[in-house]
Parts: sequence; C-alpha cells; structure tokens
Amino acid sequence: MPSILQYAYMQRALLVGCLLAVIVACLGTVMVHKRLSLIGDALSHSSLSGVALGLLLGFNPIVGAVAICIVSAFAIEAIRKKLGNHSEMAVAIVMSTGIGLAGVLSGFVKSAADFNSFLFGSIVAISGFETRLVVILAVIVLLAFILLYKELFYISFDEQAAAISGVPVGAVNAIFTILTAVTVSIAARTVGALIISSLMVVPVAAAMSIARSYRTTILWAVFVSITSTIGGLVLSFYLGLKPGGTIVLLSVAFFLVFRTIGFFRSGAKSTVSSKEV
Amino acid sequence: MMSFLKKNDTRNREKGNRSGPFRRGLAGTAALAILAGGLSTLAGCRRGFGKDAQGKVKVVATIYPMYDFVKRIGGDYVAVNMMVPAGTEPHAWEPSSRDMLMLEEADLFVYNGAGMEMWADDLLESVQNKDLIVVEASRNVELLKVGETHDEDHEHDEDDAHEDEAHDENHAHEHHHGEYDPHVWLSPKNAEKELETIAEALIKADPDHADTYRKNLEEAKNACQDLDRAYTEELEKHENQYIVVAHEAYGYLCHEYGLTQIGIEGVSADQEPDAARMREIIDMVEKYGIKCIFFEELVDPKVAKTIAEETGCRTMALSPLDGLTQEDIDAGRDYFSVMKDNLEALKASFE
Repeated sequence: MPSILQYAYMQRALLVGCLLAVIVACLGTVMVHKRLSLIGDALSHSSLSGVALGLLLGFNPIVGAVAICIVSAFAIEAIRKKLGNHSEMAVAIVMSTGIGLAGVLSGFVKSAADFNSFLFGSIVAISGFETRLVVILAVIVLLAFILLYKELFYISFDEQAAAISGVPVGAVNAIFTILTAVTVSIAARTVGALIISSLMVVPVAAAMSIARSYRTTILWAVFVSITSTIGGLVLSFYLGLKPGGTIVLLSVAFFLVFRTIGFFRSGAKSTVSSKEV
Repeated sequence: MMSFLKKNDTRNREKGNRSGPFRRGLAGTAALAILAGGLSTLAGCRRGFGKDAQGKVKVVATIYPMYDFVKRIGGDYVAVNMMVPAGTEPHAWEPSSRDMLMLEEADLFVYNGAGMEMWADDLLESVQNKDLIVVEASRNVELLKVGETHDEDHEHDEDDAHEDEAHDENHAHEHHHGEYDPHVWLSPKNAEKELETIAEALIKADPDHADTYRKNLEEAKNACQDLDRAYTEELEKHENQYIVVAHEAYGYLCHEYGLTQIGIEGVSADQEPDAARMREIIDMVEKYGIKCIFFEELVDPKVAKTIAEETGCRTMALSPLDGLTQEDIDAGRDYFSVMKDNLEALKASFE
C-alpha cells in the first residue's frame, strides 16, 4: 500500500488542509455565535466578482477577490445591524449582489481558463505560492485569535454587555471581519469554496452539541475540522473519493455522532447550546 | 441517402415536457450562468448575421472545428457564426436566447454531435425555423466509446453516465455524452469525413455553387491526408507510448496513431481530480518514463502543474481544438495549423 507522505502533493494537501481547518474552525466559532453561519458561502461567492474585476481591470485577481470579500463582509456587518431580527438576510443580500456582479462581469472576461483557474481551488493541486500564503495567513489569524481571545469571548455572547464593560467591540469585530474575508477568499481559491464554507459551520455545530464551555467548543471544533480534513484526504487517497465532498461529509458525520452523544447526556445541556436554542 | 439532412419541421412536437439534460449545479452556478447569458446578450452585437451575410448561405456552427470546416468548404459563399464564443470551454457552455434568434435566421446548423453539444437537442426542439437544415458532422464517423483506447481509467466513465438519463429517444441515431468520445476531429481521417458531410449539406442548401464546394472539399481532404501522413510518419516511432493530457479528448488521435492517453480528468473537462487519481497518474508517469504533462489552454493548468512538479516533468500545451481563443483566430491559426502544432508538441514530448 503506497504511503500518503511519499507524495509531495499529499504532504502539501495535509499541511494546507490542516492549517486551514484550524483557522476556519476558530473563525467559524466566532461567526456562528454572531448568527452568520452562512458567511463562508456568501463571501466565497462574492469573491468571484473580485476575480472577474481583477481580470478585467488588469490587477491580480486574488487581490480583487480579497478586496471584494472584505467589502462584502463589512456590508454584511452593516446590513445585519440594521435588520435586527432578520439579520440572516444580510448574508443573502450580499451573496446575491456578489453572484450577480460576478455573472455580469464574467461576460466580459475573454479567457475562460483565466477565470476558472481563480474560481476553483482543489486541495490535491496546491502550488508552492499558495502554501506559503496559507502558512502566513494561518499565523496571523491564530495570533489575532489568541491575543483577542477574551474580547471575542465577551462579544460572542453579548455585544452590548461587552461594549459596556469596555471591550472595543467595533475594532474587534472589524479585525475578525477582515480576517474572515481574507481567509475565505484565499482558501476558496486554494482548497475550494465547498470545504471552507462547510468547515466554518459544521465542526462548530458538532462541537456545540457536546462542549460545555466556549473554550471547549473551540477545541472540539478544531478537532472535528482537522480530523475530517485528514480523514477525507486519506479516504480520497486510498479509495478515490473526491476530497472536498469527503471532508465535508466526515464533518457532518461528526455532527451526527456528537449530537447523539449530547442527546443521551440529556438534562446536562451545554451552556453554549442552550444559549443558541 | 441524405437522411442526415433533417428538415426541422418535425421538431416542434413535445415542447417543454422534458427535464433538460443540462446538469444544473448549485443554484449559485445557475444564477451565474443565466446572468452571464444575459450579459452576452447585451454585449452581443457580434452575434447574429450582419448585412454582409446577404445572398450567402447563413450557417451557425457550434464549436471551432465546425466553424473552420464550414468556412473551408463554403469560402466566400457562406456567412458562418460560431455559437460557442471563442475562448470558451464548450463542455460547460449553454446557449442563450440570442443564440436561438441566430438559429431562426440561419439556413444551416452544423454541429459535431456524438454528445459534444449536449444542449443541441433542446435547442433544435424549440427552434421555429422550418427551413433550417441540421447537419450532424460526425454522422459518418465511426465513434469510439469512452475509454476504448485506454484501460487504466474506467472508473472515470461512470462520472458521465448520469448525463444520459434525461436524453429523449426521438433521435434514434443520436449519441449521448458519456457513451462516445465526441472529439472525433482530432484524427485527420475523421476530419475528412466531417468535411464531406458538411460539403454535402452545403451543396444541398446552395446547389448553384456546388462546383466550388466540391473543389474546396478536395483541397481540404488533401490537406487532411497530408496531415495524416505527417502524423503517421512522426508517431510511428513512438508507438505504444503514453501521453498525459488534461482531459481525455485524444481518444481518436491515440487510436489512429497507436498512443495511449492518460487523462487527468475524464472525457468532460470539468471534474476535480481525487487524490487517488493523482497518485495513479504520478505512478504511471514514473513507471512509463513520461517526460511531459500536457495541459489545455482553456482548462486551468493547476493540476497538470502539480503533477509535473511532483514528477519533474515539463508541461506543454496540447489543444483539443474544441475552442480557439479570439487571439488565436486573429493570429490566423486554424484547424490545420493547430493540428501541426500539436504534432510538434507530441514529438517534442517524447524527446
């Protein structure tokens, strides 16, 4: 049986996959608590219009994707605050705008290959440049996450109370909005939008079913995210399954198992999930 | 004998009661496609037949080889519009309402068939143009089943199987995508047959210029035979060699000249490879001492580059000719020049 690690593309897939799994699970925990679980979907779709814009106006499409993603993320934040009870519509509105814009702009892009190469990432075909980019990104996101851990913790539960106790809510929100936007736009190009938008939500949902605190929620989410990524790559390598879909389905399996465990623990509902219900 | 020249008057039955064979992806993708279609309508002055088409046979050709072949036979007596825009990968393309309008004006619709234009059935069914002559160019070509020229990747065949389901049974001779490899023109011998079929149709549509069409056909056939000789001569030395290509488009070429293709992707160019397939290809590259990974200009070369990097191969472009870019067309490249470039690339890849 061939060994996974003897192939450079698999080493890269594992490294980049795991790094992204960690930071996406962290960012996902923040976003899910803000009721923005579909933000990964919305941003990865919106970033397409940035790619098209970059190709049309002659600047680097990845820069275009990152820029549009940041704009979209802030637009979601802004609309979300105005909509009150219907904050999830903010995500839908921004996603529609992004897809619409991408559709219109793509009509002007001449070469389909240029466009496609920036639209779809594949975890088994990651370039050296992408690897370096993801490593840098992961370091930045993790640092921000660790340094701002307390602030995030407050904001995730109650923005107003956090603000009253002196947490710079606006600044922290802005930092994580930017980090999420940058992560999604780069990761969608590197490993594919499917993996990113799913790993932002499903591992967090799984973790919330059994974890009893904010900290354990994050740790379980990271665990589920990494295990699904490695498991998906291994299955893809030996059984010839499509890597993206396999990774996502594994994380869903974790969700179901954890949910069942949580159910049998019954009365002892975790603080996190009871807050969510 | 001219049974393939189907007049379109029987085609308006049964409109709208089929779920089309189009693969609808995520809602997002669909919305994107619709919007893109809408935009090409706005920007679409280039589409439709202009004034200079007057007095000429108006032909709508689907993909680049069809366009090139029609121009070659028809010369100045035809006005040809290419349906799938230059630079577009045809496997993922679908027609817009503007294309329908273009068909309403046309005298002749030339498509490759054999499953290349999966939307052709739907399109023809909703066209009102009763005088439209429909030509399936691959009609007289002996089709190869998908995977017939190579034995190492049957697992990818199943990917296309689901596309057959929604096809209707109206056209008994129609070939479904997934069943046959549609890229017939990559063998010069098949190109010759397609040229003949197209010439016959043009002669029928415009008998006044039959002599010119026949003369042009002779010239084109000679060029095909020259091409075939060049391919035979050069590739004879490399019989039983393997080539690694972006998608399995080269079945006819390989079949004709004794090569074996290893496709990174299946016969449609839009599937993501899995980790096991990557491993198989890398192992084969090492086992057979392959020195070059071919990519296509219209498909993202990312996977090809990853494999090349892993194995220390070079990458080179090999065109399946299913779509030339506008720059290529403007630069005067055509079927024969691209086929010659391909031969040069193949030769170089074995050295």
